[in-house]
Amino acid sequence: MNVKKEIRFRVYFAFTCVCLLGVGILGKAILIQLKEGKELRALAVEMSTINTILPAERGNIYTENGQLLCSTIPQFDVHVDYSVIQQDTFNKYVDSLAGSLVKLFKDATKATYKQRLIAGFKAQEKYFFLKRNLPYYQYQTLRSFPIFNKGKARGGLIIDSKTKRINPYQMLAYRTIGLFRENAQTIGLEATYDSVLHGNNGHRLDQKVTGGVWMPVEGSEIEPRNGRDIVTTIDISIQEVAEHALMSVLKQYECKYGTVVVMEVQTGKIRALVNLGRLENGEYWEDLNYAMFPTEPGSTFKLATLTALLSDGYINVEDLVNCEGGAKQFANRVMHDSHHGLGIMPIREAFAHSSNVGMASLAYRYYSTQPEKFVSHLKRLHLTSRTGIDLMGERRPAIVLPGTDMWSATALPWMATGYGIQVAPLHTCMLYNAVANNGKMMKPYLVSAIRDYGKDVKIFEPTILVEKIAPDSVIPQLKACAEEVVLTGTGKPIQSPFYRISGKTGTAQVADKGISYKDKVYQGSFVGYFPSDNPRYTIAVVIRTKPNSTAYYGGTLAAPVFRMISDKIFASGNGNWDEPLDSIARKGDVGFPARFAASGENFNRMLHSLGKTATIETSSKTISKIVVDTNKNIFIMPGSVYHGIVPDVKGLSLKDAVYILENEGLKVSVQGRGTVQGQSLNPGIKISKGQLIILKLS
Amino acid sequence: MQQILQRTRGDKVIWSVVVLLSLISLLAVYSSTQSLAYRMDRNASYYLVKQLMVLAFGLFIIYSVHKVNYTKFAKLSVVLYAISVPLLIYTLFFGTTLNEGSRWIKLPVVNLTFQTSDLAKLVLFIFLARKLSQKQPVIKDLKKGFIPVVIPVLVTCLLIAPANLSTALMLGFTCCILFFIGRVKIGHILLLGLFGIIGFAGLFTFSKLTGIGRASTWEQRIKNFTSKKESTKKDDKGENFQVLQAKIAIASGGIIGSGPGHSEAKDYLPHGYSDFIYANIIAEYGLVGGGIVIFLYLLFLWRSIIIFKRCPFAFGAFLAVGLSFTLVFQAMLNMAVNVHLVPVTGLTLPMISMGGSSIWFTSIAIGIVLSVSRYVDEEVKTNKKETKNSDGEKSKLFIDNIEQTELAAG
Repeated sequence: MNVKKEIRFRVYFAFTCVCLLGVGILGKAILIQLKEGKELRALAVEMSTINTILPAERGNIYTENGQLLCSTIPQFDVHVDYSVIQQDTFNKYVDSLAGSLVKLFKDATKATYKQRLIAGFKAQEKYFFLKRNLPYYQYQTLRSFPIFNKGKARGGLIIDSKTKRINPYQMLAYRTIGLFRENAQTIGLEATYDSVLHGNNGHRLDQKVTGGVWMPVEGSEIEPRNGRDIVTTIDISIQEVAEHALMSVLKQYECKYGTVVVMEVQTGKIRALVNLGRLENGEYWEDLNYAMFPTEPGSTFKLATLTALLSDGYINVEDLVNCEGGAKQFANRVMHDSHHGLGIMPIREAFAHSSNVGMASLAYRYYSTQPEKFVSHLKRLHLTSRTGIDLMGERRPAIVLPGTDMWSATALPWMATGYGIQVAPLHTCMLYNAVANNGKMMKPYLVSAIRDYGKDVKIFEPTILVEKIAPDSVIPQLKACAEEVVLTGTGKPIQSPFYRISGKTGTAQVADKGISYKDKVYQGSFVGYFPSDNPRYTIAVVIRTKPNSTAYYGGTLAAPVFRMISDKIFASGNGNWDEPLDSIARKGDVGFPARFAASGENFNRMLHSLGKTATIETSSKTISKIVVDTNKNIFIMPGSVYHGIVPDVKGLSLKDAVYILENEGLKVSVQGRGTVQGQSLNPGIKISKGQLIILKLS
Repeated sequence: MQQILQRTRGDKVIWSVVVLLSLISLLAVYSSTQSLAYRMDRNASYYLVKQLMVLAFGLFIIYSVHKVNYTKFAKLSVVLYAISVPLLIYTLFFGTTLNEGSRWIKLPVVNLTFQTSDLAKLVLFIFLARKLSQKQPVIKDLKKGFIPVVIPVLVTCLLIAPANLSTALMLGFTCCILFFIGRVKIGHILLLGLFGIIGFAGLFTFSKLTGIGRASTWEQRIKNFTSKKESTKKDDKGENFQVLQAKIAIASGGIIGSGPGHSEAKDYLPHGYSDFIYANIIAEYGLVGGGIVIFLYLLFLWRSIIIFKRCPFAFGAFLAVGLSFTLVFQAMLNMAVNVHLVPVTGLTLPMISMGGSSIWFTSIAIGIVLSVSRYVDEEVKTNKKETKNSDGEKSKLFIDNIEQTELAAG
């Protein structure tokens, strides 16, 4: 072949090959578009857009007074991506960064921090853990630090924000408020009202644009609907008092657990719900909802038996009953009273002294042939079904029914005294509340309103469960019996000179999960209401003792708790904790807290409103004190002012008030004329010299 | 300007192709560097301006080189080849690794970094054109013809191979094309191919056993190419991710593309301004744009073949056709990688990919081709005026048994 031709041929051949390669490239591109195009484009959309969830803010939990019981705060987890930090930047600033971190966190030395940072950088870690659960202000500070202030793309700071539920009052009503947990069961009000609190998350489509920035796609945003707030009936001051009172007794006797329910008589609103369980370290914590555990109630249940007997007209509380010395055989078992030696007495007194024999005999006499009738009364008293409180986890009371295998000859007498049935403390509280409320049974509830951006969107009105639990004639008799308990019976130790208490003690030997009667675990309880003549609050106190405890009577264990709470509520207003009123009064000889520094006239008015008369031994306008003698007679005597503490000058003349206040080193400013109606500094707080106090006169 | 245009010689079509490719380069680079500019905290047009300067200087180089009489490159190539060998050795030991696997050295005075292999490649091609033209009478002979031609190729390839095997293989293969055109026996080329395979296998085994070199990278690349399933994981930043993103870019382009700067795929495509710029071009200008780019390269090659046909001298002919073949072949290979026709290799798209020194080396090659073209044009003119005028002077460059008239008439 000719040389020239051969070369030319070879060149053409090579050119053809290159052309074919070109065609092949284009062909492959077409192939990609046709064959895999759809899938790839879908993938591209998936990669370039994300559906961002805009989390709804969970609602808060408030008290009716507007205190915040539970809220959500932001928290931040911080990691570092070292791979985006330039070597020279890192070298230049690592020292000052370590210094800044130490200043902010104060949890290690600068050298330690520096070492950690350098180690992370050397390993080029992409998700180096720095700190967890940072509050907002720390997070803000952190972002301004050297290196980090270069932003995510060059400073490597990776922020994961999250939210945390906090309870500002910590243990107070902790179990009632409940817990909101992402990965565990939600409990308490958080669970019951989850649908209200959680709100609805919003969505937004974000598209990745040049430089790796996510930009929202216009019109794709669905705004989050923030959770609404709930307003609970819990009164934080009553809750605090109840917790304090219960805690003191539990600690004193090392009890296993205790619970207090404070219910407002007319509405059924739960004002306090305390559940304290003993932890292994001997401390107490709101661990379980004991108020809603059905247990054998013991003697407090006698009120139900009495209601049944009275409603059927079988008895009158003034009728006599034979307590038979405190022991009586029913079928094959002997029933004992906890206090032996009671003989024939009016039913009212047998109730007051908590005679098991007396109550069992009456029930046995009238219902042994017709137990269904007794049970039907329990049904009417709403004792066989749930209370329906708006708190998750309530269980149905357990009651043995006649005609079932569990029913025996001893079932009725023992049931009449509160054994062989299981009723939760909350439930018993509801029953006593119905008596206090003149027979109208109110449903207990914890949430009184749902609020949205500060506006009530739904108000929960009190609910009547049973319009009338017994005929009109029965209620006064029940009330008389309950009052008798505190006047002469087992509740006598908690008598108050200022107001009357009605209620019932209960002492039950406990047989429960893992506990037999032999273990001598007791459940002491006191359920009652006050003031007896115009009841405002019903309180149930139930305390479970440790095995073989020295104190186990409801009268000694639970009743004092009741009294502490009722005293505080009675003296309510300024939110301070006090021991029972008369015990303060007794200390009056030594001196008295200045917060009781009021004019004699004011004391007199207060005592009058409590239905008490006092001997006044001072002029009405001067600062006075209360003294109670051993016979519970009350005296209003001239008092002195505690130095250094703001006295209560309300009701005093301006001259007296200014004299007292200026003697304490306060500067007085006056508005209006007349007697003192208000003062800008609350009584009982400490005075700092030269402080201004404004008095309002009228 | 007028003056420059007037003084510009050479094939007008090639000139047009070069200018068009530069324009495409500016568009594609501007669009695909947005993400990079953001990351590097630069002005959005930073890379555009940079590329514009590089290309402008490239055009200046082309202009300057095409003014040079191409025959001067014959002697120059011998000197430069002699320089390139020690330079490659120096780079091998003292060069800095800028990108993975490519070695660069810094020129001391002008403070310019460049890839020595770029220089070595260009020099080798010119040197080869000279050798092939010289050895034409004995080219079919193994000892007299083939061995002297193949030795310089092997030396250069072996010196590049340790640092950048794919470049060395590419170079070797391109040289085979040149051998083919230069009438080297097919059997010899196949023999060389066999040696190449054995050599590569040896090197691979050595690297695999000792852990020196980049055998694992290669293994991975081949694996990635042969495995059917591409990784669809978003966080996979490896080569599979690159290929997948390139495919997504191609798929998003359609026939006419999403328009300049409108590709979303560019934000994800790694090296979308260099190795994978072709995928971006398809994304924004569609199959039409992609086709045009291929057509421009082929047109360039075709015009070079015409020069080759018209060139009366073997050296000039081989120079024009050899340089354009290597350039276009690299372009084709790069585009083939982009459409996942061949495994990933670290090649750029000549005159389009963002770059510095590599564009200038390409410019030199184009300049030389145009120089040949200019010479041919002038030769034809003089031939028409006074036939067989300068015969005697240049006869030493003639291929002995090819008549000048034959080639000139072409």
